[in-house]
Amino acid sequence: MAKTILIVDDSSSLRQVVSMALKGAGYDTIEACDGQDALNKLTGGKVHLIISDVNMPNMDGITFVKEVKKNPSYKFTPVIMLTTESQEGKKSEGQAAGAKAWVVKPFQPQQMLAAVAKLIMP
Amino acid sequence: MLKVKELKRKCSAQIEGEMTIYNAAVLKEKLMPVLEDSRDLEINLAEVTEIDSAGVQLLMLAKKERAARSYVLNLTDHSSAVVDVFELMDLVSYFNDPIVLSGKKGEQRGS
Amino acid sequence: MDLDSALLTYIAEGRELLEEMEDILLRLEHEEDKQESLNAIFRAAHTIKGSAGLFGLDDIVAFTHGVESLLDQMREGTMVLKPTITTLLLSSRDHISDLIDYVEAGGNKITDTLREKGDELTQQLNDLGVGVNQTAPETGVQKGLAPAPTETVSRVSGSHAESDNWHISLRFGPSSLCDGMDPLSFLRYLGTLGEIVNIKTLDDGIPPAEDMDSEACYLGFEVNFKSNADKQTIENVFDFIREESLVRILPPRSELADYIAHIHELPEEDMRLGEILVRSGSLTQLELDEALRQQSALQAQETSLPLGNIVVESGMTTQTVLDAAVAKQSQVREGKSKEAQSVRVDAEKLDELINLVGELVIAGAGSALNAMTTGNNVLIESVSILNGLVEEVRDSALRLRMVQIGATFNRFQRVVRDVSQELGKEIDLIITGAETELDKTVIEKIGDPLMHLVRNSIDHGIESPDLRQAQGKTSSGTLRLNAYHDSGSIVIEVSDDGAGLNRDRIQQKAIEKELITAEQQLEDQEIYNLIFEPGFSTADAVTNLSGRGVGMDVVKRNIEALRGSVELTSVPGKGTTFRVRMPLTLAIIDGFLVGVDKSSFVVPLDMVLECVELNQTNREDSVDRNYINLRGEVLPFIRLRELYMAGGVAPRRENVVVVQYGGNKAGLVVDHLLGEFQTVIKPLGNIFRHVKGVSGSTILGNGAVALILDVPGLVQEVASMEMRAMNSAA
Repeated sequence: MAKTILIVDDSSSLRQVVSMALKGAGYDTIEACDGQDALNKLTGGKVHLIISDVNMPNMDGITFVKEVKKNPSYKFTPVIMLTTESQEGKKSEGQAAGAKAWVVKPFQPQQMLAAVAKLIMP
Repeated sequence: MLKVKELKRKCSAQIEGEMTIYNAAVLKEKLMPVLEDSRDLEINLAEVTEIDSAGVQLLMLAKKERAARSYVLNLTDHSSAVVDVFELMDLVSYFNDPIVLSGKKGEQRGS
Repeated sequence: MDLDSALLTYIAEGRELLEEMEDILLRLEHEEDKQESLNAIFRAAHTIKGSAGLFGLDDIVAFTHGVESLLDQMREGTMVLKPTITTLLLSSRDHISDLIDYVEAGGNKITDTLREKGDELTQQLNDLGVGVNQTAPETGVQKGLAPAPTETVSRVSGSHAESDNWHISLRFGPSSLCDGMDPLSFLRYLGTLGEIVNIKTLDDGIPPAEDMDSEACYLGFEVNFKSNADKQTIENVFDFIREESLVRILPPRSELADYIAHIHELPEEDMRLGEILVRSGSLTQLELDEALRQQSALQAQETSLPLGNIVVESGMTTQTVLDAAVAKQSQVREGKSKEAQSVRVDAEKLDELINLVGELVIAGAGSALNAMTTGNNVLIESVSILNGLVEEVRDSALRLRMVQIGATFNRFQRVVRDVSQELGKEIDLIITGAETELDKTVIEKIGDPLMHLVRNSIDHGIESPDLRQAQGKTSSGTLRLNAYHDSGSIVIEVSDDGAGLNRDRIQQKAIEKELITAEQQLEDQEIYNLIFEPGFSTADAVTNLSGRGVGMDVVKRNIEALRGSVELTSVPGKGTTFRVRMPLTLAIIDGFLVGVDKSSFVVPLDMVLECVELNQTNREDSVDRNYINLRGEVLPFIRLRELYMAGGVAPRRENVVVVQYGGNKAGLVVDHLLGEFQTVIKPLGNIFRHVKGVSGSTILGNGAVALILDVPGLVQEVASMEMRAMNSAA
């Protein structure tokens, strides 16, 4: 059974490309456009990995991760944060919140696949 | 999750379902009295559907605890999920139980 | 779904973000608390750059990187907003927009012009002291790995281990499992980069059962690994766990001293580890013995680095600070959580829906009529309920197309800014009524006339700062855009606090242009209205601003073509206000239904002045000529019966509908006046597109088609007929 990955980013083109790459590698994907949307989609179904942007309207990535860590069904789910070089601070903020993995934006689909493969196999 | 059958000479337990970080705490609670039991222990792993490092760690804990009390721990009927992980971590010799090898060891490691 | 469709999404998304960026930039200078806006622009730049990387759009990534850095510094407060920065950001925004256009056009290699423009802007960003690299940032490669401590340990001897394999020691941090960093996954991934020749899983870390936390990770691994991958690649495998875990990697054939240092850094006893290394094949027994012999020599320099601890501790100290920062941030954000509660729909789909709903209304009316003829009361009742619902559906479908005028108004921020800078004037734009809604099709068409009015006000209305001061006004002028609903119409006002219209100059000009005679005595308002006359232009010098040779007459004509009207009020020295009145929607028309024989026609009600009876005298008078005497005025008319060859015989009493368009009046002679009628306009099919004097059709309750008359076209037709008649008479 394919593992499910939740992609949270306010850019729909980014979600589209990442989702395409992950599906190509054998994962299932769910998409959400911000933290709040993502929380709404974390209901019940098993999610094996979360990829989340930091900068998003409504609910940013850091707040989102903190919420995930409070949810008994998802608190151990690995989280990949999408960070930028200019935002080293955000990266450590994310790590403190519980998102220990990261990919620096801008990235190539291959780099995302490598990061995901470190954490879960399809 | 954990069923225990007490026989005369040994204690026999069976773990069913997943052995992951999500249920590790509960599983450990249930395992604790069995680990303190003063008989040999046998754990059947045939119904383990999924196991991660947290699950492996519990089995290693069991092995250590039993050894400290000079009792035997036998793991039996490893499910394929368990075998995969034991092969990857090379734990077959650690537990030293007869195991039905999956026969695709190289492939398992490589993928 | 393929990459192309994702790229289209990117282009659309990029455009939207750029628009948002522009809006915010333009209001940023006036904002008290800029933080939220700066965050939003930063986010926009961040998203544009981030997604561009996915498509390999390196030029966009490289350029946007600089902009993002500047915005980040502004957000952090290390760079303060100045007008020059706003200008630079606006130009940068435009450049990104150009780059995206270029992508859309399918360009691969960026043109020299674009590159030069980009370099120039990047230079300007650099001059501001933004830490921008000239080159593109390395896309995504993880940088800044801590150098392995082994490198700092002095080398004792030149003796090497013989192993061709890497040796990797891993001690996972206690929180690894809770963080979702399962050692198994990392081992699996490592397996994809080479072969795990030997692995030893260590249980040394597992405490006695009563102390053991089942959610903490106690596992350690010693791995003998065969791979052709380079050190960086292997180190990258453990990026995510490096901070909380202990990761030591020894390349093949490392110096024995490195093995010693390696063994020392691990928590287990040296002897035990030594044995593990030998057993795993990373060291031979001889090498181990040699290494242990050297150990004492190293002891002096050895610094036992509880690296994991240091990291964990430093992580703890910052935790509270971070929590506070995040809490504050979320407070700010809550205020914005209402945005983006909308669904995006293709405008074409919406038009299709509205068209279908129009058909539904008509079909409903037909059904009602059929039901009537059956005399079946139950049927009539249910059809009537159905039609009531259909009409509600029509109204809400039309409301779907209603959009706020704010976005259109905001576009003028940029215009006002650019144009006033060009002219050396200081102008503040004040927008009110931005939430006023009107039909999307009207919004699309009102843009150009509005642009013209705004430019006219900046150009001719508001004086230069010096002049203003001389007159005791504030040196900066004010331009106001206002919108509000007024009895089924939307009114848009463009007003300035400038000099007002110059009555004498207009009069003089009008006399020169022979629009009026010097003897005519005109009210102020009548003189002001002359600026809407064709061929009138008051500008002393033609600037490149007040439109590409387009006069106010064109503005007026365009607005009237949309069934709207424009008027102005002006007070000398105080300013001028243009008031544009538009129908809320172009899809529904308040019509006046008239009949000729069995045909029906709809005349847009707002163009109807009055209706008069074509009495016997007039009729007799007008047998050979096409005008009547309307209270002493000459009113040319046209007989719809003749125009559309409606057939039948004119009744004894005909009626004249007096319509007005663009200052010209004309009469339409019809058989019957059927009254006011609100209806949905259906566009004409292609066959009728070129029929003169008809702008659309609608279907009446009885199922008959009624043509909607194109009054502007008809008035023109009447005027030219008149002209021909006069010429032939002369």
